[in-house]
Amino acid sequence: MNTQLPHDLLPTATHDELARQNFVQSLKVHLATKVSPGNKTIYEHKAAPRFAREHQRPPQDRHEVRSVMKDEPYYQMWSTLLRTSQEMMWDSVNVSVERQLPQLRERAATNGKTLGSLTLNPDLAIPAYHTAVDIHCQPGGYHTELGPDDVAAGATYDRAVYIYAMSRLGSLNDEMGQSVVLHLKEQHADFQPRRILDMGCTVGHSTLPYVDAYPEAEVFAVDVGAPVLRYGHARAEALGKRVHFSQQNAEQTNFEDGSFDLIVSHILLHETSSQAIRNIMKECHRLLRPGGMMLHQEVPQYEGMPPYEAFILDWDTYNNNEPFWGTVHSIDLQKLAEESGFAAQSVVQTMIPSALERTQARTKKFQGGDFGGGGAWFVFGAAK
Amino acid sequence: MIRKAKGKRPTFFNDPQIDTVMGIVMALAGEVSVLRERLDTIERLAVAKGLFTQHDIEAYRPDEAVMAEREHWRTEYLERVLRVVHQELEEADKSETTESYQAAVRAVSS
Repeated sequence: MNTQLPHDLLPTATHDELARQNFVQSLKVHLATKVSPGNKTIYEHKAAPRFAREHQRPPQDRHEVRSVMKDEPYYQMWSTLLRTSQEMMWDSVNVSVERQLPQLRERAATNGKTLGSLTLNPDLAIPAYHTAVDIHCQPGGYHTELGPDDVAAGATYDRAVYIYAMSRLGSLNDEMGQSVVLHLKEQHADFQPRRILDMGCTVGHSTLPYVDAYPEAEVFAVDVGAPVLRYGHARAEALGKRVHFSQQNAEQTNFEDGSFDLIVSHILLHETSSQAIRNIMKECHRLLRPGGMMLHQEVPQYEGMPPYEAFILDWDTYNNNEPFWGTVHSIDLQKLAEESGFAAQSVVQTMIPSALERTQARTKKFQGGDFGGGGAWFVFGAAK
Repeated sequence: MIRKAKGKRPTFFNDPQIDTVMGIVMALAGEVSVLRERLDTIERLAVAKGLFTQHDIEAYRPDEAVMAEREHWRTEYLERVLRVVHQELEEADKSETTESYQAAVRAVSS
């Protein structure tokens, strides 16, 4: 548990704070491995037969599965425990970040290193899909400023993601970026991007693997949240990585046409909206130079998934403040890419293996609450 | 820091009070685990350094100042354990409803 790589910005934990975080992580592992799988047994033995008796046919989609599962006491108990574990996770990190917030702000503001850069835009409108509800129950979301030079959301996120993923994203939470890099190195060995953009970077945890993989490249990263960018910039500097962070909405950036050879995002798409994702794809097309490539890493699409699997993956839509989760995983991505200007034959939708060997052996089931480090990721991409 | 994530908290049981009780039970379970970990650290250190024995613990009597400190700790402890109850109130204060959450789902999906 306490093997997250320490750096200048990572909040430390007192003995009891760490014990509290340890408990949350153990609870999450227990729920994911010992309780969540039981939902399928309940579905097959109780809920599905009940539906079949009432309708003379099996449930056909995730909504019909949910309509019977919601009345099953086992599912109710697992759900309330999973929601509670999520709230306890944020709370366990919040307390320790609050205790050391002045020092973290000071350290971020004066770290004295100038490898990369940070450009904030206080006038940037925070999109409604971030302000309507706090995404995945992080109090205040990515954008709320608790004071001048605030880094609270970033510090909280960096530590909480480690707990959320049950440490399966590696000691720097960089397994997602690493996995996309591995995919690139294996499938596009000759591809040598000179300018790379990471959209919706939060604290840059997925951005940094690109700095290592392509040492000659200039790496840029954008996000709408100032507190996560301040933290992410200082974190990258503390780890000796050169990244240019700027506060921008991926739907419409200030980069010139054809600025990038490679555009990536990591679990960004599900935190946007139907309109925003269309804007983002068009922006990717505008920003890529001819021959450039975009790759968006996500959890799998629901299409082709058995109704129960889609239902359990859909839990976050209704119960973990992820309002766009269900819709984005049902979108016709091929059509979306084509409508955004990408050639039909250039579109890729594929599962990629985790770059971390110890994670590869995992279920790949993406059960509710167990998608962090499930052992594989879904990638959607296209070339210009 | 902000304690309550914006967005109506879902409930799962037919009686939503059971969800609240489960929140309390799990917070309590967490605190027992924290306590157990600290105690384990102390006892291992004590044995390693030859500081005290089980008998010394039984014989200990706290003074007034220690008792006041412990009272303060218990106040914070109860705040933590009963967190979910306070959250319900905060949600009501901000007029967050299931309808307003569903409106957010619709807004991003249309």
